[in-house]
Amino acid sequence: MSQLVCHGITKSYGDKEVLHGIDLTLESGKIYGLIGRNGAGKTTLLSILSNQNPATAGAVTLDQEPVWENRKALDRLCFSRELNISSESGLGNYRVKDYLRAAATYYTHWDRDLEKNLMTTFGVDAKKRLNKLSKGMLSMVTIIVALASKAEFTLLDEPVAGLDVVAREQFYRLLLQEYTQTGRTFVISTHIIEEAADLLEEVIILDQGRVIRKENTQELVGRAFQVTGLAEQVEAAIGNLETHHKESLGRSESAMVFLQKGQSIPEGYEITVQPVNLQKVFVALCGGETQI
Amino acid sequence: MVNYVSNEQRKTGEEMQEFLTEQKSIYLQICEMIETDILRGILLEEERVPSTNELARLYTINPATAAKGINLLVDQGILYKKRGIGMFVATGAADKIRTRRKEVFQKTKLFQFLQEAKSLGITKEELVSMISRWEEQQ
Repeated sequence: MSQLVCHGITKSYGDKEVLHGIDLTLESGKIYGLIGRNGAGKTTLLSILSNQNPATAGAVTLDQEPVWENRKALDRLCFSRELNISSESGLGNYRVKDYLRAAATYYTHWDRDLEKNLMTTFGVDAKKRLNKLSKGMLSMVTIIVALASKAEFTLLDEPVAGLDVVAREQFYRLLLQEYTQTGRTFVISTHIIEEAADLLEEVIILDQGRVIRKENTQELVGRAFQVTGLAEQVEAAIGNLETHHKESLGRSESAMVFLQKGQSIPEGYEITVQPVNLQKVFVALCGGETQI
Repeated sequence: MVNYVSNEQRKTGEEMQEFLTEQKSIYLQICEMIETDILRGILLEEERVPSTNELARLYTINPATAAKGINLLVDQGILYKKRGIGMFVATGAADKIRTRRKEVFQKTKLFQFLQEAKSLGITKEELVSMISRWEEQQ
């Protein structure tokens, strides 16, 4: 099994540290979700993982070999990031087909047939200049690059941003098709958490430059519960449990609890216990406390 | 009383506990869909069921999750594995599912139903006459 590993990755822009010593192991053959609020450091982390951005401290290795400026390791990695078509980058004047030709040259295992199929599926006009494409169309181009790269470890930064719901569904299906056929590893950052939740074998939650959770998605969601009731009852029931995101309204209180193995919510209290979804878990972990 | 709002089976210590709502783990939903297909004769006994990859693509879920659902049905003796060919519906699977669902109905759905009736002050006689009236209307 191959492993892409972050060893104590720290990144600063000027005197602002945006990633604080990240240790992370990504195993081959999984679909990972990377979720975090705006500015949490998702794009920075993905760009460091793929050698597109130097870390201030720490290292990234692929099967124990450093990734930094290592062509052999880079041949196995693809980071398809959001296209910057601002006038300074000069990229905007490229036609889609020229951009894809450049990508085909860069990625050793490029699959031209898959590229053509995806162009048809998404209905992207190869002759259009990148700066004439809508946000959604640009996302489609980044998806095409990611999938056609055939890279063993493929990182996608918000691939569904700007896509309509039909195109998003198309992407999820294409991703699963590629994944079930090849077993490639995908790391996908997204803000549309609930849509992607069922696709993700593991979820990595990044909060203010730190990985605060990395866990099997179903297991993480399965041990989280929303507890509501009269404040005193709730407090008594959840006293010994890991609790997040307490909210109170009048006499009632609600909180999210995470049960550890073997733990359960104690019987004998007038409380309501509800299962939650990944989005709620995320908000509870990264949204802070609220008093209404 | 702790009121669990879910349909999900959850492990509390050693015993499984039934929850009652719509929100269920995706692998339990996969189990239920396959079970329902078996009960409806969409999947026949000794017939191959879709592979985890096929299920994953059909429902756009992670194959590992689909596998978890399939494995649960294997553990319950509803599906069995033929090496190198795939998963098959066991003989007697439909009966097994029906028996288990009856148990679940009695232990949880009926219990909740009776609790609700009790809290509304509905007597046993009233309940029986409600059921008879409902049957007549059908």
